[in-house]
Amino acid sequence: MQTWDMDLEELKEEETSLPGSKLKTELLTVNMGPQHPATHGVLRVEIKTDSEVVAQAIPHIGYLHRCMEKHCEAIDYRGILPFVDRLDYLASMSQELTYSMAVEKMLGTEVPRRATVIRMIISEMQRIASHLMAFGTYALDLGAFSPFLYAFDEREKILTLFEDISGARLLYNYFWIGGVWNDLTDKNVEYIKEFLDNFEPELVKYDRLVSQNRIFQERTMGVGTLSLADAHSFGATGPVLRGSGSAWDLRKVDPYLFYNEVEFDVPVGEGQRGSEIGDCYNRYYVRMLEMVESVKIIRQSLKLLEPGPTLGKVSKVIKIPKGETYTRTECPRGELGIHLVSHGEKTPYRLKVKSPCFTHTSILPHIAPGQMIADFVASIGSIDIVLGEVDR
Amino acid sequence: MRDERLTFFGYFRNIYTAVKSSLIGMWITFRYVWGKKPVTVEYPEVRDVLPDNTRSRLYNDALNCISCNLCAISCPVDCIYISSVPRPKDLEVPKCDDGTPKRQVLTQYVIDTALCCYCGLCTVVCPTECLTHTDDYEYSQYMVEDMKYDYLTDDLIAWRDRIVKT
Amino acid sequence: MKEYCMRSGLEMYNDLISSINSAVTNANASLISPGEEEVGDSSVLVNPESIFEVMSFLKPLYNGLQVISGVDYTEYIEVCYFLAHFDPENPKDVMIKTRLKDRQDPRLNSISSLYLAANWQERECYDMLGVSFNNHPDHRRILCPDDWEGFPLRRDYKVQEVYRGMKVNPENKMNRDDQLFEDNKQKGNEADLIAWALSKGL
Repeated sequence: MQTWDMDLEELKEEETSLPGSKLKTELLTVNMGPQHPATHGVLRVEIKTDSEVVAQAIPHIGYLHRCMEKHCEAIDYRGILPFVDRLDYLASMSQELTYSMAVEKMLGTEVPRRATVIRMIISEMQRIASHLMAFGTYALDLGAFSPFLYAFDEREKILTLFEDISGARLLYNYFWIGGVWNDLTDKNVEYIKEFLDNFEPELVKYDRLVSQNRIFQERTMGVGTLSLADAHSFGATGPVLRGSGSAWDLRKVDPYLFYNEVEFDVPVGEGQRGSEIGDCYNRYYVRMLEMVESVKIIRQSLKLLEPGPTLGKVSKVIKIPKGETYTRTECPRGELGIHLVSHGEKTPYRLKVKSPCFTHTSILPHIAPGQMIADFVASIGSIDIVLGEVDR
Repeated sequence: MRDERLTFFGYFRNIYTAVKSSLIGMWITFRYVWGKKPVTVEYPEVRDVLPDNTRSRLYNDALNCISCNLCAISCPVDCIYISSVPRPKDLEVPKCDDGTPKRQVLTQYVIDTALCCYCGLCTVVCPTECLTHTDDYEYSQYMVEDMKYDYLTDDLIAWRDRIVKT
Repeated sequence: MKEYCMRSGLEMYNDLISSINSAVTNANASLISPGEEEVGDSSVLVNPESIFEVMSFLKPLYNGLQVISGVDYTEYIEVCYFLAHFDPENPKDVMIKTRLKDRQDPRLNSISSLYLAANWQERECYDMLGVSFNNHPDHRRILCPDDWEGFPLRRDYKVQEVYRGMKVNPENKMNRDDQLFEDNKQKGNEADLIAWALSKGL
C-alpha cells in the first residue's frame, strides 16, 4: 500500500483503509525526540509512519537557540569571535575565518602573507578533523563501533596540535581580525608532516573497512536521493551539493586565501561503486575523497610558508565605516555566509549568519517520504548537521 | 542497487561479496589485538601534561593589578567585576613588579568562572600581565555561587607562590 | 566611490536593473551603492509589491536562494534576498532588497513556490522580525516556541516577563557587571575600604 505518494490533504485525515476491505489503519506519529543518539544534537523530528515506512517527517528546531544574532549587536568586534566559534563547534576555525574575512574586507586591512598561509593550513586541518567526526559518527549511527574510535584517534592528534598553537581543544579564538594569534613553530610544522605521513594509510584502511563493506553499501546506496535541480532549489552547498553531481566548490570558483596557488581536484558524486548520484553513499564518499584532497593542499601550503609577521595593523578600537557586506567561505559542512551591516560604531548593527546546516535540515521533509525509519537515520547522518549552527 | 532484479547467480554473488567484505573488515580490526599500543590515558591515575599556553582557569595576581579595567571592558560575557577608588594624595604610590605605578586602590576583583568562556581576550590586554591563564581544570563546586572567585581573599592570594613565575 | 561589488561590475548591475524594469512593470528597481565614506557591497532595491514577479523573472538567471536576511532600521524594515547561480562555469550572485514601511503588519508575497529554500528562511524572518508572508505553506515560528510573544530582532523589543507561568529573567540569574558584592558593602564607607585594601598590600 503506497501511502507515500498521497497528497498532503489525504495524509491529514490520519485514517486510511485497504481498498476493498473493511480493515482501517492509521498513521502512527512517532517522536524522534530531542534526546536521541542518532540525531547529532537536539533535533526533534515528528515522523508519521505507516508500519515501518515514513509517510511524513517534520523537523522541529530551536532547542539550542542562544540568540547569538541579537547578542552580537551589543558586543564589540573582537569580542564577537568567541561567539562565532560556538556556532559550529566541531569546525570552529572555519567559522572564525569567515567572520575575520568579513571584517577585514570592510576595514580594508591587509593580512600578512605568513598569516594567510597559516590560515590555509589550519583550515584544511580543521576540515580533516570535521570530516573524521562526520565519518565516525555516521558509521556509529549505522551500527559500526570500531571506525568511530579509529577516527577519533586521528582527530585527537589534530586537536593536540590545535591545543599547542592556540591553547584550547575545541573553541579556539585563534583567527584574529588581521591575522592569527600565535605563530606556528618549527616543531608544529614537523608534527604536521608526521601526522600527514601517518594519515594517508589510515584513509586506505577506512576505505577497506567501511566504504567497501557490502552491508554499509546496502544501507546507504539508493537511500535519500536528492536530485540536482532540487539541490539547487534548496540552496544546498558543500558535500550535499557535490554529492548530487555539481562541481561547485567555492575554493575553485571564487578563490580566497591562496587557494589559486595550490592544485587540488574537486570530488564530485558520480555514482561510484554502483550508487545513484545524490544518495547517501555519494555524499559520504565525497567527504572521504575531500580528506585526500586536503592532505594534498596542506603539503603544498607547507612549502609556501615563509618567515614574517603574523598579525596585521589593526587599531585598538575597531570601528567599521558604514556599509554592509556578505562574505562566504567553504566550511566543511557547506558555505557559511556572514551578512554584516555596520553603522560606523564599535558594535555591528546587524550580524546575520547564513548557516549551511539550517538549509540542509530543510531537505529532510523532502527526502523522507518512502524510506524506512532506519533509512531515515542514515539520511540524517549523511547530511551531517550540527545543531549549534542550525539554531545559532 | 535496490531495484535490480535478483537472479540466481546474483543471489550467490551477494553472499560472496558480503562475507568477503566483512572478513576483510574483521581482519583489520583483529590486527588491533596484538599490533597496537593502547592510546588511552588512564585518568585519574595518569594525567596528561598540558601545553604552556593552555587556557584554563584564570588567576589574577592582585598585588600587581593597577585597576585599569581593560580586562572587564574586553570581556565578551562581562564576567569580571572590578571596583577601585583613587588613592589619596598624601599616601606614597607603590609600584608593581615591572615598575608601573598603582594610582588606584583595588577594592574588589571578582571573576565569575561559571560565566567565563575561556576566550583569553582579557589576558591579552592586561598591561602588567597579572591576569593569566593557569592549567587547573579540576575545580568543580557544588553550588553555582561558589564559582565566583574573589581574588582579594587571603587564600587566593596564597596561590601566588604556586602559579606566578617571575 | 569605494566599491566591493559582489563579483560583478557596475555595468552588470545596470544591465540587470534595466532588464528588471522592462520585464516587471511596477518594480522600480534601483541601485544602492556605497557612498563616499562607505564600504561594502552594492544591491538592487525593488518595490515590495512586485517581489514575486521580480523573483520569477530572475529564477532562470539565478538558480539558488541562499539566505533571506531582515534588518530593522527604525523607519522601515528591510528584507534582503541573496540569490546565487550555482554553476561552476558561470558563477554570479546578487542581493535584492525591499523596504517595508508598515511596522504593524508588514507583508510580502512568499516565493517558496519558486525556491524551495525560501520555506524555512521566510519562517525565520517571520519569527525574528514579524514579517508575514502571503501564501506560505507552513507559516509558524521556527526558532522561538510557538506561543512566544513579540519579535526578538526588532529594535524596540522588550522580552516578556512571564512565559507559561515561569519568570523569564529571574533576578538571581541576571549578570550586571557593576555589581558590588555583599562583603564589600559591609566594609563601610570609603575610608574603611581604603584602609582594608592597604592592609593587604594593594
